[in-house]
Amino acid sequence: MTHSATRRQRRVPHAGQKRFWTRPLLWGVLLCICVAGIPYAEGLFRWLEPDARQVIYQRAPFYALLGRHMLVVGAAAVVTIAVGVGAGIAVTRRRGRDFLPLVAQLASLGQTFPPVAVLALAVPILGFGTLPIIMALMLYGLLPIVRNTLAGLQEVEGDIKTAARAMGMTPVQILQRVELPLAAPVILAGIRTSVTINIATAALGATVGASNLGDPIIAGIINGNMAYVIQGALIIALLALTLDSLFDSLQTRLRQRLSAFPR
Amino acid sequence: MSLLDALPTPRLERGSYPNVVLVSLSAVMLAAIWGLDAVSMAPNRIVQGAGAGVMEALGWPGALLASLLVLALGTLAFRPNPTNYSAALGVVVLILALMPFGLMVAGHFLIDPALPQARLGIGAGYWVVLFVLLLCLIELRLRLALTRLWPMLILAGVGLLWWLCAWLWLGDLALVQEYRARDQQLIRAVGQHVVLVGVAVSISVVLGTLLALLMRRYARLQKGAFAVLNFLQTIPSLALFGLLLAPLAWLSANVPVLAELGVSGIGNTPALIALVAYSLLPMVRNTYIALEEVSADTLEAASAMGMRASQRFWQVRLPLALPVLLEGVRITTVQAIGLTAVAALIGAGGLGTFIFQGLGQAAMDMVLLGALPILILALMVDAALSALTEVLRPGGVQ
Amino acid sequence: MIELSQVSKQFGDETAVDAINLKVAKGKFCALVGTSGCGKSTTLRMINRLIERSSGDILLDGQPIEAYDPVKLRRRIGYVIQSTGLFPHWTVARNIGLVPRLLKWSADDIQARVGELMSLLGLPLEEFAHKYPHQLSGGQAQRVGVARALAADPDILLMDEPFGALDPITRIKLQDELAALQARLHKTVVFVTHDMDEALKLADHLVVMREGQIVQQGTPLSLLQRPVDAFVESLLGGLERGLKQAALSRVKDHMSSLGPTLPSQYRIAADCSLRQALSVMLRDHADRLTVVDQHDVPIGELSLRRIVKEAQLEKGTSRDA
Repeated sequence: MTHSATRRQRRVPHAGQKRFWTRPLLWGVLLCICVAGIPYAEGLFRWLEPDARQVIYQRAPFYALLGRHMLVVGAAAVVTIAVGVGAGIAVTRRRGRDFLPLVAQLASLGQTFPPVAVLALAVPILGFGTLPIIMALMLYGLLPIVRNTLAGLQEVEGDIKTAARAMGMTPVQILQRVELPLAAPVILAGIRTSVTINIATAALGATVGASNLGDPIIAGIINGNMAYVIQGALIIALLALTLDSLFDSLQTRLRQRLSAFPR
Repeated sequence: MSLLDALPTPRLERGSYPNVVLVSLSAVMLAAIWGLDAVSMAPNRIVQGAGAGVMEALGWPGALLASLLVLALGTLAFRPNPTNYSAALGVVVLILALMPFGLMVAGHFLIDPALPQARLGIGAGYWVVLFVLLLCLIELRLRLALTRLWPMLILAGVGLLWWLCAWLWLGDLALVQEYRARDQQLIRAVGQHVVLVGVAVSISVVLGTLLALLMRRYARLQKGAFAVLNFLQTIPSLALFGLLLAPLAWLSANVPVLAELGVSGIGNTPALIALVAYSLLPMVRNTYIALEEVSADTLEAASAMGMRASQRFWQVRLPLALPVLLEGVRITTVQAIGLTAVAALIGAGGLGTFIFQGLGQAAMDMVLLGALPILILALMVDAALSALTEVLRPGGVQ
Repeated sequence: MIELSQVSKQFGDETAVDAINLKVAKGKFCALVGTSGCGKSTTLRMINRLIERSSGDILLDGQPIEAYDPVKLRRRIGYVIQSTGLFPHWTVARNIGLVPRLLKWSADDIQARVGELMSLLGLPLEEFAHKYPHQLSGGQAQRVGVARALAADPDILLMDEPFGALDPITRIKLQDELAALQARLHKTVVFVTHDMDEALKLADHLVVMREGQIVQQGTPLSLLQRPVDAFVESLLGGLERGLKQAALSRVKDHMSSLGPTLPSQYRIAADCSLRQALSVMLRDHADRLTVVDQHDVPIGELSLRRIVKEAQLEKGTSRDA
C-alpha cells in the first residue's frame, strides 16, 4: 500500500522535471549559438560599427574566452563555497561558537571591499594574470554564502534540533539529515547570488591581464569599438542568465522536495 | 546589519574560560611578525622591492617589543573579564599607534640616504598585523558591548596620528613619495569620486523610492521592473560603461542642446547613467521590502485607531521601514564607490584613474595610492551608515 | 524505573532544580506540575541527558545514567514536546520511522512498525503517510509526535507539555487517547504540564514543583485531600478542589445496590465520574440517581448523602493513616 502511495507522490515532482530543464537549457542553447555564431555575424556588427577596421574580436576564439571565464568563476566558487559553508557550519557548532560574531562581521566587511580595490591590491602580491581576479572574486563572493549559511542554519528551529537530539541522533547525523537539508534552500540562494555577481565581476580581470570574456570589452572601450563590447557583454550576460536560471530551477526543486516550507 | 542583530550577543563569561578568538588572532599576528616580510625596500619606483624581515627592519629591541605586546594581548585573553578586555583594547590601540614609528625605524635602518629614489614599501607582515588588529578591535567591541561609535573614534584618532607621522617623518615611505609626487591630482580625484558617488546615489534614492512606491501601487509593474533590474545586474559594469559610449557620443553629436549640457560619450554622463542603473536594484529591492515588511497587524491597528492613509504612511509605515531602507542606501553607496573606480576606464576620473594608470605603468605604489582611499572610503561610509541605521531604529524594534 | 536522588542543576548562578528526590516505578505515569520556570522541564531533560545535571544521582533501571552512552540512551527513551519538533522536510511516515532507522532496523520492519503505530494513534496510513508536518492540524501533528516517540518501543516516555498548544477540545480528546494508550502499553511516563486538570486526569503519581524544589508528591487523591500548603492548594483549584476530587472517582465505585425504595427517574452511567453525577444532580434537582450499565439496565443507585458521607469517611481514614 505504501508503494502505490509513494509512486503517486513521486509523480508530482516528476511532472515538474521537464520544466526544470527548459529554461536553463534555453539560455544555454542561446549562449552556445552566440559563442559559435558571432564570428559569422560580421554583417550585423559591421552595421553597428561601419568605420572600424575589424568588427569581430579575434585575438582569441570566444569559446576559449568563455572557458577561461567559467574556470575563473568556477575556481573562485569552489573555494568560496567550501570556505563559506565550512565557516558557517563551524561557527554554529558548540566549539566554534566563539568565532560566530567575528566571522559574521568579517563576512559583511568582505563585501565592503570593492572588487577593483581588492584586485589592485592583489596584483603586487600575486602578480598579473588570473590569480588576482580569483582572489578578488573569492573575497567578494564570500559574504552571501557565509551570510546565508548562518541564516539558514540559525533559522532551523531550536525545538527541531532538540527533538533530533532527544531521538538519539548524533551531532553529525543532526547536521547531515536535519540542519543542512532544512538550510539548503537558503544556502543555495546565497551561492546563487555569489556566483551570478561573480560572473559579471570576473570581467574586471581583463584589466590585470587575466584573459577572459572581459577582454573584448576592454579592447572595445580602448579602441572605441562598440561591437567588441557588445560581444563580450552579450556572452557574459547569457552565461549569467543560464547559471541563474539553473540555480532557480534547483531552488524550486529543493523547495518542492522539502515542501515543508510554508511561504 | 540585520543578520548581525539576529546574533546572540556574546556575554562576558565568568571563570577562566579563555577567549579562543583573541588567542588565535594573537598567534596569527606573532606568526606574521616573524614569518612574513615586515617591509620591503626598492631603489626606485618601478623595481620590485626586496623584502626584509622583522629583525632587519626593527632590530632586536623593536622585534622584542612587538612580540611582547602581542603576547600581552594573548595573555590577557586567557582570563577574560571586563578589566582584561579593556586592557586588551588598550594594547591594540598602542600597537596601532606604534606601527608608524616602526616604519620610521625601518626607514632609518634600511634606506641609504645616498639614494634619493630609494623607498620603503610596507610588507605583507605589516599588512597582516594591521588587518588582524582590526579584527581584534571588532572582537573587543563585541565583547565589551560598545557601540559602533567607539571603534570609529579610535580609528579616527589612530588615522590622524598616522597622517601626522607620514606628513612629518615618513618621507622614505613609497606611498608617501607617491603621494607627494601627485597630491593635487589625488585630492582632485577623491573629490571627483565622492561627487560622482554622491550624485549617483542621490538620483537612485529618489528614483528608487519612486519606483518602489509605484510598484506597491501597480502590482503588474513589480514583476516587470524587477526582471529588468535583475537583468541589468548580470551585465558586467565594464560592459555597461562601454555600451553607453556610442549612443551618448551619437546623441551629443546630433543633439546640440545635450552637448551643451555636457553630455558626451566619455566622461561623467555614461558613468552616472551606469552607476544609477546598477544602484537601482538594491535600492528598489530594499525600499520595497522595507515598506512591504511592516506587519499587517500593526497597520490594521493603525487604521482601526482611525488613522488616515497618509498618517499611516508617515507615522507608522515609514518609521518602521526606515532601518531597512537605510540598509539599501548603505549597500548602494558602498557598491557605487567600487563601481566608480571602474568608471575611470571611460574617462570619468576619480580614484580608479590611479589604479589603472598604476597597473599600466606597473607602479604598484600608485595602484595602492588609488586603492587605499577607495577602501577607506567604503569602510567609512559603511560604518557611518550602519551607525545611522542603529540610531534611527525605533526603540525596541528589532 | 527512574530514580532521582538529590538532583540539582545550576545555570550560572541560578539554581533551576534544587536537590530533588523522585522515584517513578515501572509502568507508572508521573506528572510534574508547576508554574512556568519551576524547573519541571529541566528535570525532564536531565533524564535523557539533554541537560547534564550539576549534582546528585539519576538511576535508570538501577543503573547510574552515566553508564549509558547518551546517544544510545536517548534512542531508548521516547520524547514528546509541545511544538512536536517534527522534521518539516520529512513525511509523516519518515518522521515516525526515525528512531528505528537510527537503530538500523530492516526496511520491512520499519514499514510494519510505522503502519502499526499510525493505526494505534488513529492516523489512517493511506491518508497521512506521505503528508508533510505543515499539512497536519495541531492534534494530528502531536499524534505523529507521540507515534515517533513510541516507534522503537521504548520503556520510558518523556513528555514535555505535549498538549499545551492545542485547543481545549482536541486537548481533552488526546488526553483520553493517551490514557487509553497507557492502559494498554504500561510505559513508564514522566509528563510535564502546568495544567493541573490534565495531571489529575492522567497521573498515577503527582509531583508539584516550585522554584526548583518539590513541594509535594503523592497520588492525585492524596494531594487533593491534604495539600501541604496554600500554593499546592491554589494549584489544585482552591475551593473547587472537592469537585476535582470527585472527578477522580467513578460512580460505580460509590454506588449502593438497588434498595427497596422506588428508583430515581434520573439516570447516570456507571462509568461516569462522581463530578458528573453531582452535576446531573444539580441540573435535575435530584438528590438520588439511578446508576445504569452500558445497556441502560439499572444496576445500583447513588445518593448525594452517600457521596458526602463517603468523602468524609475517606478524609477521616486518610487522616488516621
